[in-house]
Amino acid sequence: MQEEKEFIQELLNPKTQNQAFQKLLRDYQKPLYNQIRNIVLNHDDADDVMQNTFIKVFQYLKDFKGDSKLFSWMYRIATNEAITFLNNKAKRNGTTSEALQSKIVDNLKADTYFDGNEIQIKLQKAIAILPEKQQLVFKMKYFEEIKYEDMSEILGTSVGALKASYHHAVKKIEDFMNSN
Amino acid sequence: MKNFKLDNEPKITSGFTVPDGYFDTFSDRVLVKLPKQEPKVISIFSSKKTWYFAAAAILILMLSIPLYIKYSQNQEELDAATLENYIAYHSTVSEDEIVDLLDKEDLEKMKVEFNLQEEDVEDILSTNTNLEQYITN
Repeated sequence: MQEEKEFIQELLNPKTQNQAFQKLLRDYQKPLYNQIRNIVLNHDDADDVMQNTFIKVFQYLKDFKGDSKLFSWMYRIATNEAITFLNNKAKRNGTTSEALQSKIVDNLKADTYFDGNEIQIKLQKAIAILPEKQQLVFKMKYFEEIKYEDMSEILGTSVGALKASYHHAVKKIEDFMNSN
Repeated sequence: MKNFKLDNEPKITSGFTVPDGYFDTFSDRVLVKLPKQEPKVISIFSSKKTWYFAAAAILILMLSIPLYIKYSQNQEELDAATLENYIAYHSTVSEDEIVDLLDKEDLEKMKVEFNLQEEDVEDILSTNTNLEQYITN
């Protein structure tokens, strides 16, 4: 935690800022990209959200109170940015976020940056029809293997509620896989 | 597909991939887009500060000119009074020496004019009986 405080100071100090920000990018770009990509599904959109996320991180770093881990705080920004992006995109297309996701999943096969077979597409289809919260919890737990304690800090939900969400999500996904 | 159990299956990945070298170039791309950093803001601000200080210094100097003039005049007046007191109470200069230093003009200034009327003289003489004695003696 002390180390993290020093790192944040480096990020805020104009002299060390550039170097510290590069380290921040190196350390966190991959996990944050995965989180964003799992939500928006498409690489180009994920790239847009990534840039917005890091710009926001840079802008609001001075307001970061340190009452949560830097990583959790950045994860929260990335998650919110991705969900907002998806909702705005759906609105622009005159559709709902769920319908938009189903449409993207249907087109996954044609996506240059998707390398999966039938079962992966089917899993994405099963996830796309879950409620938003269950989707998030499932993706974070199953794909990214984030601990419930960390997830609780990121999403601001109790560990018990997260476990319940994951359990429901798994049940629905298994039902979908068995019936289709 | 029957009896699909997520835990029984080999781990299914998300299947998402990224373009080659995406993460190598991402930091450069995002660094360019960051809002301009503090140092420049500070430098503009600090040069502004210097101007403020310069303006304040000039203003103070300008305001102090009449004060300076007024104060320096006061000092001269004060000096004259102090000198007088010094001479009167502390100096070893004798009255004769002072008289020697006075020229005609000074003496003219010090001359007190008495326009004595006869009536006044009479009046004084009548009320001061002692004077008659001095005069006659």
